[in-house]
Amino acid sequence: MESRVHADETTLVARLRDGDEEAFAEVVEALYPAMIAVARGYVRTRALAEDVVQEAWLGVLRGLDRFEGRSSFRTWALTIVANIARTRAVREARSVPFSAFEPDAGGPSVEPERFRGPDDPYPGHWRSYPTDWRTLPEGKLLSDETLAVVRAAIGDLPDAQRAVITLRDVTGCSSEEVCAALGLTEGNQRVLLHRARAKVRARLEEHLDA
Amino acid sequence: MPEPRGTHEHNYTCEEVVELATEYVEGAMGPEETTLFEFHLNFCDGCETFVDQIRASAGAAGRLGAEDVPADVRERLLEAFREWRRS
Repeated sequence: MESRVHADETTLVARLRDGDEEAFAEVVEALYPAMIAVARGYVRTRALAEDVVQEAWLGVLRGLDRFEGRSSFRTWALTIVANIARTRAVREARSVPFSAFEPDAGGPSVEPERFRGPDDPYPGHWRSYPTDWRTLPEGKLLSDETLAVVRAAIGDLPDAQRAVITLRDVTGCSSEEVCAALGLTEGNQRVLLHRARAKVRARLEEHLDA
Repeated sequence: MPEPRGTHEHNYTCEEVVELATEYVEGAMGPEETTLFEFHLNFCDGCETFVDQIRASAGAAGRLGAEDVPADVRERLLEAFREWRRS
């Protein structure tokens, strides 16, 4: 959906400026998940994030005449969400502290017990290999049941990790867009994405190996 | 218990490889590290599988589908749009 918006951007912006309600409804649908994910990176609750996104759309409409297409429409809209969310986060007592975007030390991607200890002839190597998912029955990995596990795993992630994986892997934003919207360095963005993917992988493994 | 199959594997341990998987998948790794990393994957079925699992996890997340805009949010936004159009 995002790619369609991206491809017809000039047309889209022209239609919005003309007051085309259908175009507006379409772009709201297309950008909503990414906008919520950016907002949730800054504010604690779903309700606050929805507020932020609504306010951001007003900002988008007001700024439409100034939009020059130097960035993509999506990048521009996400930046507006981020600015509003940041302001709101400062105001709200229950906001996510900015340090939420500083990757802390964090745990390892795979439990240390899965690797051989220092006294082994091959320290740091797998004790037993993970299961090859490419040998699973067709469709198993993308079954509704498996995808529900993925959705739950993402829902359980810390805010910053959830924001990054939702933007990158669920809604298909580029790393540049995510760094700009969440105020992250490329390196920190990647660390958060890796932690998030590793946790989703672990939950999938638990589910698929059961 | 699987035995490591070659000396090249020892440039990185498996425990290190799993932490670098996203950097590799994202193409963010430098050329020298990439060479060492791929040497390891060539000799280590466990890590080759792990990297595939990281890719598959990202792929599965991409299949979750867009969430719907709640009806009340949608209504308020359309109303805001009409108001903006009138102004």
